[in-house]
Amino acid sequence: MKFNVNTEIALTYLTSRKKQTLVAAAGVMFGISMFIFMQSLMKGTNDYFEKMSFTNTPHIRLFSENKVADNHMLRTFLNDASEKILINPKQLQQSQGLTNPYGIVAQLRRNKEISGITPQVTGNVIYTSGSVELPGNIAGVDIEEENLMFDVQGNMVAGSLHDLNRVQNSILIGKGIADKLSLHVGDNITVRAGNGNLVIMRVVGIFATTVRSVDDTKSYANIARVQSIIGKDRSYVTEIKINLKDYNRANIVAREIETITGYKAEDWIKANEQLKAGFKVRAVILNSVIGVILLVAGFGIYNILNMTIYEKIKEIAILKAQGFSGRAVTSIFLQQAVFIGILGGIVGLTLGFSLTYMVSRIYIGAGSLKYLPMSFYIPHYLEALMFGILTTIAAGYFPARKASKVDPVTIIRG
Amino acid sequence: MDNIALKASGINKYFHDPVTMQVLRDINMEVHKGEFVSIIGKSGCGKSTLLYVLSTMDTDYEGTLTINGTNTTGLSLNQLAHLRNESIGFVFQFHYLLPDFTCLKNVMIPALRLGKYSYAEVEQRAYEKLKMFGVEDQALKKAGKLSGGQQQRVAIARALINDPAIIMGDEPTGNLDSKNTGIVFDLFRQLTVEYKQTLITVTHDEDFARRSDRIIEMADGQIRR
Repeated sequence: MKFNVNTEIALTYLTSRKKQTLVAAAGVMFGISMFIFMQSLMKGTNDYFEKMSFTNTPHIRLFSENKVADNHMLRTFLNDASEKILINPKQLQQSQGLTNPYGIVAQLRRNKEISGITPQVTGNVIYTSGSVELPGNIAGVDIEEENLMFDVQGNMVAGSLHDLNRVQNSILIGKGIADKLSLHVGDNITVRAGNGNLVIMRVVGIFATTVRSVDDTKSYANIARVQSIIGKDRSYVTEIKINLKDYNRANIVAREIETITGYKAEDWIKANEQLKAGFKVRAVILNSVIGVILLVAGFGIYNILNMTIYEKIKEIAILKAQGFSGRAVTSIFLQQAVFIGILGGIVGLTLGFSLTYMVSRIYIGAGSLKYLPMSFYIPHYLEALMFGILTTIAAGYFPARKASKVDPVTIIRG
Repeated sequence: MDNIALKASGINKYFHDPVTMQVLRDINMEVHKGEFVSIIGKSGCGKSTLLYVLSTMDTDYEGTLTINGTNTTGLSLNQLAHLRNESIGFVFQFHYLLPDFTCLKNVMIPALRLGKYSYAEVEQRAYEKLKMFGVEDQALKKAGKLSGGQQQRVAIARALINDPAIIMGDEPTGNLDSKNTGIVFDLFRQLTVEYKQTLITVTHDEDFARRSDRIIEMADGQIRR
């Protein structure tokens, strides 16, 4: 027990009033454990929804977008440099496909930030079985690449996606289509494209993503097959889907790709703005709750230290008479606050972890969500400890300063 | 000059609440090293006020105060705190021990604050001081558990822990019976003789005052003799 004398006095004051110390520490403990719990829940759910959105959408989608006519185009067309005034410009119908898609794919594969890339052809079709017709869209993909990027296998409920390459004229359909048209693996389905082409295909697999609008409309087929169904040649590709190693850099990489290829590269953040808005709103709600909890804990400490100072005012006066400077007295009371903060903080971290762990074991079972998504993210724990200790220091500072201003003469003389 | 422990010149002090009133009028005094001085006077004559000015705790006065050759007037509060820690010991009418600490710790705290000796040495010295006052067997008890006489003796031991040049007492024996008063007086006397420590006490006890080296009698904020 060889501490600095200020520390020793602070500790003695804390241990001689165990109940008050524990009550104050409990306040900090609840603040910190709630902080961790809330943050874990928020990050867990956010991560989950992000991951969910990536099961259908890539990190970046590269596609050709119609442009509004402008002066530059007109000048190129007329081949002169005179100024033109363009009135009422219109959207220009460009070829929906990308020019030289496999060249672009080969070039992008060299980019080290890209983890997966696959071209795709999408066409609007009408599925028919018996007399029932169902509108939808067919995606022509390389199913093995698609599977690597979007885990199609994980969504399969019947059949096998590998049969898409083995069986001629085969198709994977969403569970919604299968239910509505009463189709099973091995049955035939009629697919009619917009240009009137009619093909009969064999169902080799059924998938369920839990996103209803996808399950009710989407089907996969071989890319070459889809190109022929919609009457296009082998170089026709409507979009290139790109996944990155770090999806948080999607907007930066998307800009680069746009510059290189000249096509529109849409990152997932832009495509999922409502998701991001949801994250933000949740963050505001949770942070306000955490803020209030820490504020209340801070007031608890403030109150208890204030009371201690009123109780100990004579002792403070005598310490000052014996040569304790104002700074030493401040240090004594501030250290008490810090000890309360550390004590509450350590217990709070443990409690926060246990709470998070217990909740992560709660079975939900909605859609593909089995358990509550909780994240165990170490920076949350460090942040919680830091905020907890900062709160206690802020709460302890004002009473400590008051104690340092005690005038020994007025107190001792009465 | 070397022989002077404390010198006050031209000290004036006013109380402003509720009305401005002069409590000390042109106080000039010198106390020699090893001198045992008693300040006496009727209640309200300003003797305690004077002691608190001399103690450097009260800085709201006019005039100059020199302690051990250091001019203390105008020093910062932190500098004064350090000076008190090192050179002045206090004994009050009420003991003002910290009740949550053991007697030993109470005695040790000013020395730990000063930081001149190691923890073990401070502990050793604190034991010696307690022994001087015959309360060493109470050393490990909480200060709040002692009788009034014992507490006052621990408080005096605490005042002596840093071997201060000057010991100031505000009615140090005011709460003690005649037997304990006798013990304390003899110890004070011993300190001045053997260790050349200076003692300034404010007292109501005529007998105590008469046995000290010099009596300063105050009336109406002035030194009578």
